[in-house]
Amino acid sequence: MKKIILAAFLLTALPALAERLQIVTTYPYIASITEQIGQERVRVHALAGGQWDPHTILPKPSFIAKLRRADLLIINGAQLEIGWLPPLMNQANNPRIAVGSKALLDLSRFVQLMDVPTSVSRAHGDIHPDGNPHYYLDPVNIPLLAKAIMDKLIELDATGAGYYRKNHAAFIQAWNEQLTVWDKKMAKLKGITVIEYHKNLDYFLARYEIKLMDTVEMLPGIPPTSKHIAALEEKIAGCKVCYILQDIYNPDEASRHLATKFNIPMVKMPHDVGSVPGAEGIFALFEEIIRRITHD
Amino acid sequence: MPLRFFAHFILISAGILAGALQAQENQSGSGNPFAQAKFVPDISLILDGSFNWRDLDDESCESLFLPGFSDAEGDHSAHSHEGMNGRRGFNMNYGELVISSIVDPFFDLFVVCHLAEEAFEIEEAYFTTRRMPWGMQLKGGKFLSHFGRLNSQHTHQWDFFDAPLIYTALFGESLLNEKGLRITWVAPLDTYLMLGGEISQGQNPASFGNEGFSAFDGQIEIKGSDGPNLAVAYAKSSLDIGNLTMLGGLSCALGKSRLNQGIDEGEPLTRARYGATTIAAADVTLKYLFDSIRYIALQAEYLHRKSEGDGYFIEPLSARLFLAAPYRQRQGGFYAQMVGSLNKRIRIGGRYDRIAQNEVTLPGVTTQVPGHLNRYTAMAEYNPTEFSRLRLQYAHDRSRYENGLTGYLPKPVNEIILQINLAIGAHGAHAY
Repeated sequence: MKKIILAAFLLTALPALAERLQIVTTYPYIASITEQIGQERVRVHALAGGQWDPHTILPKPSFIAKLRRADLLIINGAQLEIGWLPPLMNQANNPRIAVGSKALLDLSRFVQLMDVPTSVSRAHGDIHPDGNPHYYLDPVNIPLLAKAIMDKLIELDATGAGYYRKNHAAFIQAWNEQLTVWDKKMAKLKGITVIEYHKNLDYFLARYEIKLMDTVEMLPGIPPTSKHIAALEEKIAGCKVCYILQDIYNPDEASRHLATKFNIPMVKMPHDVGSVPGAEGIFALFEEIIRRITHD
Repeated sequence: MPLRFFAHFILISAGILAGALQAQENQSGSGNPFAQAKFVPDISLILDGSFNWRDLDDESCESLFLPGFSDAEGDHSAHSHEGMNGRRGFNMNYGELVISSIVDPFFDLFVVCHLAEEAFEIEEAYFTTRRMPWGMQLKGGKFLSHFGRLNSQHTHQWDFFDAPLIYTALFGESLLNEKGLRITWVAPLDTYLMLGGEISQGQNPASFGNEGFSAFDGQIEIKGSDGPNLAVAYAKSSLDIGNLTMLGGLSCALGKSRLNQGIDEGEPLTRARYGATTIAAADVTLKYLFDSIRYIALQAEYLHRKSEGDGYFIEPLSARLFLAAPYRQRQGGFYAQMVGSLNKRIRIGGRYDRIAQNEVTLPGVTTQVPGHLNRYTAMAEYNPTEFSRLRLQYAHDRSRYENGLTGYLPKPVNEIILQINLAIGAHGAHAY
């Protein structure tokens, strides 16, 4: 037993000796961007799986083990993690990544959030008082996040500054090249009207000037009632809706029903890296989103 | 309980809060340079009510007991949460006021107040450290012990209306809730491994007790403990295999028992005793996630109590003389439950409770206690959102007994509870 304890204490010292910066991210998309910039100097682990509902990640004790050893924790912020992360951070009790420490990076602080509610009440469903937290689905926001991650890596690991800058520059160049391709593909959808299940893709839709008529769910986080569906049907009948965008984790019966009734294609949209086959990295995620909505 | 004081306390707190919120509004307008609204801690209030049906009237139900645990008629010493036993019809079960915040870079503070219709209790009030090195954390104050799997969870986190039988039998309705200090260490491994220990006053009325007692003009003289009376240690670990998460733990509680119920009443002192008690527990949880919403969770725990020492009773012939003789308790039991989440709103579950070992040898007591006690529970939940819950629970309780002429008589009870639980205020995320 003593040997085990001794071995365990020795292991405590290991992260300090290990060359690579141990980084934990809440969601896989953050891990993907971080890997692009940190590459050989970092080891990145995402807590949530891409196929899960980002609002209600079921916490596991193994998350505590990961947080316990992290040199840097990068979160989406805007209260997307409020329902699952705080108690895990308290139990992991890692002072490096505690609230207020420099090794806790909240990416939502580097973008302009949409739909910041003027009045906050749970009568409006499970709303986010800081605004819509799905900002990372706007491809133009990704370089802002990459820059924030680079700055943080340099702050924590100054000796790698040149390496991070080089990787970041390469990432931005590749991203901007892709962006022109994506913009071209998306141009034909400008001005169309869609319905989505949850307000997941609002930033993406706003970027490409696609109108959102309504959501299938009644209120954020609250499944549709038959009354809400009836009201939606009336609205759909009076206007041309091109797509129903359904996320992969919520039940799709209501969307399917509307799609069949009005002969509108229902498109299952990935929301994160790893959410569907083919969306394995941050580039592939947007590739897949655009492929699905443009039918390429 | 000085109720009036607490009523004032609540009113004053509410006043301060209202003032703070007013200040927040003013901040944007005229601009109070001394506004502190941003420092308002996280506050949430949980309210729980129910409608209960039972095939036994309230008075008879209250006189029932768990043989070998609460031996005597009407012994509700362990039931400190008033109203939680539930009367037939409408019940205001409890309110839970949670106030928490970061204190400074070094401490977090949590206060959980348990509110009953005519009681205000500090259920928990503790700090945790924020900056201890090497993965260690200190927790100090009054808190629910992390013994076992379920003990540290609050009532509203439970998967059923009530706690498992073996928990209430060994610790009472308030479970193991003590004033003390806890230290934990999370191993720096990829696999979760947590070791922890607690020392506390050990005042638990069902298994421990730190207050001395005397009776019969000093013929019985048991000294109290000046200081901690209970030590708890545990190890918990977890493993993920794909979508399956396994969690297991071993716990042990060691302390002195000083139980003096009934000592002043001149009745046979079958419940007064002084001894050493060890309670050990093993728990396992298996949770399989089908997707983000649907899961099935199997949870089981076994708890065992070993207690030995001196028991006191009046010598029946002389009626004044007392005798001290060894007593011995070997009691163990488990619960096993399965809960499934069918969709975002509906959860169903079943639980089997069993006291599997009930060996009690008390001086002067000849009544045989039954060796097995059972309870069956089923529940279905409808959760409109994560902030509201309706639960229907049925329990067939075969653990309750009444006093008969020749010994203890079983009195099975059927109970249906329709429960509503509502939460407002700060978003309280729960641990796994």
